[in-house]
Amino acid sequence: MNKKTVWRIAGFAVLLPAALLFPLVGNNFIIRFGTDMLMFAIMASAWNIIGGYTGYASFGNVVFFGIGAYITAVVMEKAGLPFWAAYMAAGGGAALFAVLIGLPVLRLKGHYFAIATLGVAEAMKALVQNLKITEGNAGIYLPMLDMPIRTQYYFFFYIMLATLIVTLLATHFLLRSRLGYALIAIREDEDAAESIGINTTVAKTIAFALSGLFTGLAGSVHAYQQAFIKPDSVFTVHITVKMLVMAVFGGMGTLFGPLLGACSIEVISEFLSNYFLVAHTLFFGAIVILAIVFTPRGMIDLFSQRRLSIAYFLQNIREHRI
Amino acid sequence: MLLQILVNGLLKGGLYALMAIGMSLIWGVMDIINIAHGSFIMLGAFITYWLFTILGIDPFLSLLFSVTFLFLFGYAVQRYLINYVIRAGAFITLILAFGIEIFINNLALVSWTADVRKVKVSYGAANFAIGDLVTIPTVRLIAFGLVILISLIFFLILNRTNLGRSIRATSQDLDAARLMGVDVAGTYAITFGMGVGAAGAAGTLWSILFPISPMMGGALTLKSFVVVIIGGLGSMLGPILGGLALGIAEAFGSNWFGATYENLIGFTILVLVLIFRPKGILGGTS
Repeated sequence: MNKKTVWRIAGFAVLLPAALLFPLVGNNFIIRFGTDMLMFAIMASAWNIIGGYTGYASFGNVVFFGIGAYITAVVMEKAGLPFWAAYMAAGGGAALFAVLIGLPVLRLKGHYFAIATLGVAEAMKALVQNLKITEGNAGIYLPMLDMPIRTQYYFFFYIMLATLIVTLLATHFLLRSRLGYALIAIREDEDAAESIGINTTVAKTIAFALSGLFTGLAGSVHAYQQAFIKPDSVFTVHITVKMLVMAVFGGMGTLFGPLLGACSIEVISEFLSNYFLVAHTLFFGAIVILAIVFTPRGMIDLFSQRRLSIAYFLQNIREHRI
Repeated sequence: MLLQILVNGLLKGGLYALMAIGMSLIWGVMDIINIAHGSFIMLGAFITYWLFTILGIDPFLSLLFSVTFLFLFGYAVQRYLINYVIRAGAFITLILAFGIEIFINNLALVSWTADVRKVKVSYGAANFAIGDLVTIPTVRLIAFGLVILISLIFFLILNRTNLGRSIRATSQDLDAARLMGVDVAGTYAITFGMGVGAAGAAGTLWSILFPISPMMGGALTLKSFVVVIIGGLGSMLGPILGGLALGIAEAFGSNWFGATYENLIGFTILVLVLIFRPKGILGGTS
């Protein structure tokens, strides 16, 4: 057992009970806040698989979220199936879409991949806005959950939590597998990876599909919780940007970085919107700017420093300026 | 009828081209994807709006102010902010640009509220007809002319001046350019200023033609993306062809399928171009 694994187990051992007990100490508002935090933690971690570990910065991951949400809505509302079936279908559908779109799009590199995925997401939004089965721009209602209100809050919180745990465990085991090493090799040098016999197409596509799978699951739970979704709300580019900012803010290419990023960004924005009714997004923008300038490797990098001082931040600037 | 659609598409495409030309320059030279591009366009539009509403300055005259102000603003943003992280890679600068976008948009929102405004010039809807076939909106035609003019200026600066040589050298090899005595940091700042200045010009023209609001930038950034990708990076002709292609495709597409399909058409073209001609319609395959 290496040092990293020990850290990871310790991380799980501290975070898991805290997360499990979290709903017991808060009111409905706090639980809902926690659920959203978990949702973004799932999506930032899922983005991390393709963006952080494989080095393919997807700018369209919201498409999986939207697909997950819409599959859930259509399966439950039009086909009348229970949530569990819809949840599975949402994850599977998003992963399948990732494979289909990944095969052509993953051939592109760098910016071009980023913009292509952005285009896919925007095109999908426009398509959903125009389709009959998704009821277009008007949006679509889902069946209500037949439970007392308080139980509903618990229900959604624990499903999100379970999904997040599966996401993190999957990432952890992925990283210890041959495939995980293949992904990191691709990130560092794709041509070299190819030349030592890694089937890069397969590896990248699997990473993209996993990313899509977990994002789709988050979308599914979100749709059921909202009970009403429309194209503008579940396909907005802002969700992509949010997961990406969270992953970078926390530290991309690390297991717990995106989780840390999701929690801190959510807490910061909540705090700001409480105290600055109008200007909170303005301050949020300033925080993103400062974080990028001073800690481009993410918050998690602060923990790896033995002694934190001004010198660390100045060093970051010195390394990256011209 | 077909001819009218073609003309409409071409003229709209001209505006798209002007929006994209600055983004293309910044992307091509410095490898920065300027997510905040639409926000700079928005600033240009609002400068024109306020100069017109408060001081009664004609929008076409205010072009000078919006371009100058945004050039200086862009110069400062690059010099005192982006230059400090530029070597951390394209992805980091992209997130930084995102932070800048949020900041500018919300500053505008706080200062000017979310109201949708319009520059009400008397000649806003002016047009003239050529025979019985085609009607041409005058402002859009002038906008089209300005696009050509600004691209020409960019082309001359890049190819005929020392500054242009510095910019091209920096874009080809940063370290070599520095060894040859190029002030890299300053060159980057000027390049960013030029790109943002072009965005300001696009904003001014946009404000004459369409309603404006502080949150209008996001959609314009996306449109500029599409144009840059379709045209490809690395030449002044790219964004022009890209803009015209998108304008025409949208005009015909929304005529045949309905206006709600406009975005679907644009982004489908984007993805197809990326897959089959990733260097743009001018570049080769792969």
